[in-house]
Amino acid sequence: MSGTHKLVFIGEPGAGKTTCIGALSDIETVRTDVGCTDGLADRKETTTVALDYGELDLGGAGRLLLYGLPGQSRFRFMFDVVRDGLLGVVVLVDAASGDALRGLNETLDTYADELRQLPCVLCLNKHPDPPLELRRACQDAMRAHELVAPLLAVDARRREDCVRIFELLFTLLQHGGYPYPEVDIACP
Amino acid sequence: MPVNTPDRTRSAAALDRLLQGCDGVQAAMFALRDGRPFVEKSRTKVEGGKLAAMTSSLVALGKSVLRELKAGELDHVLIEGSTGKLVVSSVPDSGGLLILAVLASSDARLGLVLGHSKMCAQAVAAASQDGAARSA
Repeated sequence: MSGTHKLVFIGEPGAGKTTCIGALSDIETVRTDVGCTDGLADRKETTTVALDYGELDLGGAGRLLLYGLPGQSRFRFMFDVVRDGLLGVVVLVDAASGDALRGLNETLDTYADELRQLPCVLCLNKHPDPPLELRRACQDAMRAHELVAPLLAVDARRREDCVRIFELLFTLLQHGGYPYPEVDIACP
Repeated sequence: MPVNTPDRTRSAAALDRLLQGCDGVQAAMFALRDGRPFVEKSRTKVEGGKLAAMTSSLVALGKSVLRELKAGELDHVLIEGSTGKLVVSSVPDSGGLLILAVLASSDARLGLVLGHSKMCAQAVAAASQDGAARSA
């Protein structure tokens, strides 16, 4: 499990990707947020338009390179930028939002093809104990997109939760029949 | 905070002048900073929605790199390929709201494309200021 591994966080705008990477990173993060100019401005001031980047040192377990992608489907091309060498994908859901399922479905509509080829984990964020109905509905949404993934309730800002996600992705990579990342990320 | 969007007609007219006044310019677009198309003019088929998103990513990444390198404010991003070049710049005095993307053929003179792009952006910036002054 040692070495450098690349994780990408996706999810609807407001799911917590930027906050998560900002909280987890050991280095000053790269952020590319700008002021919203559409209806999203009612919910949040800024939105990511390229990527967030941070790094998390796991000690003996290696180092994680953390990438957060914009939530809007028009930025789908950014996945092509980060795809090489990915260990896996973290799908974040704002479980505190009344519209969590719509956001998840938009994310899955955009990224389902990618998610079928990579280990992925579905993480319900921003809620200490997401209701059972939401968990079931999220699993149903995954199945509807022909996807199977573990579902976790997390506080994506917590290092322990990120380590748990990483271990789960690594297990999926080892035992889930996924091809190992082709690109060897040679970082110190 | 409400967004003070520049006048679409005047922005379109500025793009027309750019396309007509600068040899080799194939397409030009004003995009909003969060990656949505505002106005576009093109001699060739361009996917405006995708180009708008990509240009906003380029500007944001360019600014991030310059910040990291402590290399000042972004003037423009230039991407040159074997058959074309793209110049992307922020429109001054628009509060970072607008981005101008100009696609030109490979034989277009870079200096001219940059100069005309700058004039186009300044024309829209001036129009925005006029509008703001009138509404004040």
